[in-house]
Formats: sequence, C-alpha cells, structure tokens
Amino acid sequence: MRQQNSKSSAGPAVDHDTVAGDDFFAPIQDPAPFILVVTRNGHMAEVVMNYAVNVADRLKYKILAVHINTLPFFCDGGRRSGLFAAAMQESAQLFRQKAGSRGVVVECLAESGKVGKVVQRLCHSEKRIEFVVVDKGIRMEEVAAKAPVPVFSVIYSQAGADHLPKVNPYTTIQKGEISMSTTSKKRHVKNCIVFGALTAGLYAAVFTNQDIVMTYFTKGGVYSLLPVAVVFAVSYFHGNFTSAFWSALGIEGSKATVSKPAEIRPAVANTVDVRRDTRPRAQVNV
Amino acid sequence: MHGPVNEVIQFIDLNAVTIIFLFLVGFVGGLVSGFIGSGGAFVLTPAMMSLGVPGTVAVASNMCHKFPKALVGAIKRYKYGQVDVKLGLIMGVFAEIGVQLGIVLQRHILDLWGQAGSNLYVSLVFVFVLVVVGSFVMRDAVKMKNAVGNEGSSTNLAKRIQNIELWPMMTFKTANLRISVWFLIPVALATGMLAATIAVGGFIGVPGLMYIIGATSIVASATELVIAFVMGLGGTLIWAYYGTVDIRLTLLILAGSLFGVQLGAIGTTYVKEYMIKYVMATIMLIVAVSRFFAIPKYLNALQVTSLSDLSVNIMTQISFGVMCLALLTGASIILVSLFKARSLEQTVTVQG
Repeated sequence: MRQQNSKSSAGPAVDHDTVAGDDFFAPIQDPAPFILVVTRNGHMAEVVMNYAVNVADRLKYKILAVHINTLPFFCDGGRRSGLFAAAMQESAQLFRQKAGSRGVVVECLAESGKVGKVVQRLCHSEKRIEFVVVDKGIRMEEVAAKAPVPVFSVIYSQAGADHLPKVNPYTTIQKGEISMSTTSKKRHVKNCIVFGALTAGLYAAVFTNQDIVMTYFTKGGVYSLLPVAVVFAVSYFHGNFTSAFWSALGIEGSKATVSKPAEIRPAVANTVDVRRDTRPRAQVNV
Repeated sequence: MHGPVNEVIQFIDLNAVTIIFLFLVGFVGGLVSGFIGSGGAFVLTPAMMSLGVPGTVAVASNMCHKFPKALVGAIKRYKYGQVDVKLGLIMGVFAEIGVQLGIVLQRHILDLWGQAGSNLYVSLVFVFVLVVVGSFVMRDAVKMKNAVGNEGSSTNLAKRIQNIELWPMMTFKTANLRISVWFLIPVALATGMLAATIAVGGFIGVPGLMYIIGATSIVASATELVIAFVMGLGGTLIWAYYGTVDIRLTLLILAGSLFGVQLGAIGTTYVKEYMIKYVMATIMLIVAVSRFFAIPKYLNALQVTSLSDLSVNIMTQISFGVMCLALLTGASIILVSLFKARSLEQTVTVQG
C-alpha cells in the first residue's frame, strides 16, 4: 500500500477527521460521488494517483482526473499544448490501469485556464464532487479559495518515493513528452548547432572569395561600411554560438553572484546634504 | 577612392600555421578582455606584428575585431549586472574624441617617419604605459589581497573627487557613485588616445575608472567593455575609411576571441575583486618586457643604432617568447581560478 508512505495534509478550511472518517460518508448516494484529482503537469505524480485510487476504493467513489493546461496560448506554435496532450494521454492510461485493477472508475478530462477557476466550475457543474486532491505544482490556496469542497494535497518526498519503481515507465516514448518541456541544455545544444552553422557559412563565404573581399573591403571610402557590417553579423551569429557552446558544456556564471549586484556599498545620496540649522531657537511649553 | 596610406601597406598571405596561431591568440586575448575589460589587444597587436603584419594594419584590424568582441562581452556581463551602461556610453563618447586625436597623431607619425617610426612609437607607448600603470595596479592588488575582507577598493582620491560638487553632477546607479562630468572627460580622453595609438585603451580606462572615478574593479572592467565598443566602432570606421582593415585577420581573431570573451565574462562571476587587478597587472608587466626587446629592431631600421642582425634577431625571438609567456600566464590564472571556484561552488551545493 503506497498510501502509507504518503502523508495527506489537510487544506486550510478542512477538518481532517471528518473527511477521513468513514461515517461521514456513510449514506453513499447513487450515482457515486467523485474525487476530483487535479494536476497542471502533463504527467500526474504516481503517488497522487495511488492515494486517489486507495481512497476511492475504500469510499466506493469514482475518480475525476483533470489535467489543466495552464498555458494554452504559450507562444511556441502550439508545441507545448501538443506535448501536454500527449503526456496527458499517457498519464490517463496509467491512471486507468491502476484504478482498473482495484475496480475504481476513472474519468479523465482535459481543461485549460486557471486552476482555481476550473475547479470552481467543475464543482458547480458536476455537483457530486466530494473533495479535491491536488498534485504537485498547484498551490493549495489557489484551489481552496475557489473550491466549495475540501482540498487535499499529497506530500511526498524522494525518501517516501523510494519504493516507487525507479525505472521510468515511459521509456518507449520520446523524452520531450515526459518532461513536458525541452531541457535548457537541449536548447543550448540546438542554439549551438544553428548559430554554429550560420557562423561557418559566413566564414566560408568570406574566405572562399578572399580576393574579391580583400579588393573591395580595403577600397576605403563608402566601402568601409562593408567590414563593419560583416563584423556586426559575426558578433551576432558567432556571439550566440559561443554563448550557447559554453552553456551546452555546462559552464555558466556563478549562481551565487549572478543574482546579486556586483558589490553592495552604501547608497550615494542624490542630492547635497541639507545643512544643519544652527540658529538659536526658543522652546515654549504651553 | 584609395586612401593615402594604401601605398605603404602590404597585406600578408595566410597559411595554416598563421590561421591557427591567430585563432589561439584571439582566444587568449578574448579570455583576458572578457575578464579584465581591456581589449586584450595589447597581446594581439604585437602578435600580428610578429607575423609580419605592418603596425597600421595590425592596429586597424585589431580595432575592427575589438568592438564586436566588446559588444558580446558587454552583453554577457550586463546579464550578470556588472555593467553601468550610462557611465560607459558617456565615457565612450568622450573616448571617441580621444580616439580622433590619437588617429591624427598616429597618421602624422606615419607620414613623418614611415612604417618603422610608427612601429617604434607604438612599442615605446606600450612599454611606458604598461610599466607605469601595471606596477601601480599590481601594488594595489597585492595590498587588497592582504587586507582583511578585501574591502576599500575605492581610493581616497576617488572619494575626494566624488565630494567635489561641480556642475553637471551625474549619478550612476550600477557603479553606485555620483561624480561631476568634468572628471570623467580627462579619463575618457586619455583612454581614447591610448586606444587609437595601441588599440587598447583599457590600460588607462580601467585603472582610471577604479582609482579616479571610484568604481569597483568588477564594474570598471565591465563598463570598459561599453567604452571599448563605442570607440572601437568609431575608430574602425576611420581606419576602414583609409582601407587599412584586413577583414581576414579580423575574422580569424574574432573566431577565437568570442569563445574567450564569453569564458572570461563567466570567470568574473566566480573570482574575488583583487583577482581582476592581479591578472591585469601580471599580464601588463610581462608584455612590457616583451615589447622592450622589440624596440632595437625598429631603432636599427631607423638607423638610430647599428646592432648586428644576429642580436636583433635574438631580441625579436625573446620578445616573441616573452609575449607568449604573458599570454599563457594570464590565461592560466583566469582558467585555474575559474575552474577552482566553480568546483568549490559545486561541492558546496552538493553538500548543502
């Protein structure tokens, strides 16, 4: 039972006992109520799935799993949304497998927008949601402020997840769909290749036409703009290439100093100090 | 269309050794300038001259490679919050005027004494500036290293100058200082004049920013990159107008130096303040020795002295060897301190 290793923590407005106690839910209505499981990640954490399945099994509830795409209009030409949808499919399949073995019904839903608003809307439209379980990456307050029902989050640590299979269950699928975003290192490598090719092209163009280049570039006068234009182009292409090159190798600025200014020194006044008033004055107590 | 200088300059032929040499020298020069802010051109001008490139073409091609490098370095260091753009631009404009004065002087010397005279003049200015400023910076770096807590980088002179209220006063937020524009102008002019003469103004600019204006060595070296960009662009346009820029040399140096400048800029985020001064002074002093050995060659050419060819050759070899030593010393200090600090930071992160 993985649930034992996962601790459930109560939301701000929730009495833990009332929810955990079976008596409170004794009169089970027909049709069975739902547990709303919300995630904003492409892949819902397995710990959250296990917890939801265990509770649903015990209470004889159904599960409504919602993947909320919080950045539907992310400007990358729909790439993120595509990855999100693909990741959601895998996640839903895994969830159904887990629930199916325990005889729990899982309904999966794709939503987009703000987490709080989606939860509020679902709670009102479904009307049978008893409580909400949120995945990692969603702030409790955000959901609890909008939801008319109790909200829980499942806290899990690396230590707690020890018993989970260490092998990535999605080994057959592309990495980008797993992590839901291309890693920054991958981006550096891509930049490195693109700008490297552009730089190489520029250099090849100059050095294969050496004679023509040297004739015109040293003519002087208006032709002086030619070398200047070429070096500007080089500074852009080659500059980006070299920057990406070192980043791709993992050599980047110190994190300790990058975030803070070079040196903290006492601030300099913007104006001249006000001269002290030294004139004598009398004080009268009324 | 042809500039008047065109008749006396020759462009060299490139071979594989020259190309690799220029790339490597460019890398080290870039590494140094990304770190200490000043061109790294003090290494490149003599390096090209040892390949047989005439002084004017060496200085012009150098300046043409300097401003894109300074631009890339400045952008990188701006991301680390080290650049005072306002200070850099204002000083850059005045440095540009200094560059124009320097070019007039340089062309005057070229007309008067020819190529050898021009080379001699460049070498003499080199030795003088490098020895005087280099030893001053070295003394300060050693003092700073021994001082507790590495504080007190702004000198008494800078503090006194900042207290003089002379219209117009300006406030520079990143550099965190307030100073009259009248004190920026002489520093900027001197920077520009030196830059036009030996293609590296930073040896006046960075110490000027640190000791006269009162910026920290990190901000000074980063801001110098902006100054270098502004005056490098202006200077290049003038040199290119006379057709002295060898774009092939420029591109070869640039290929290496942009790798270097990025790494040098990254290096500044890891090291302590005095390291910048220390590296700067070390390189300046070693290069000064190198240029000193090059002087007899030009004196002979001008028939001021009559040393035997053999001894001139030996001295030229020594000059070249010492310069290589300066390059390698500077680069290894930067690389060693960068990777040492980096692995230390990683160890701390893993433990903590």
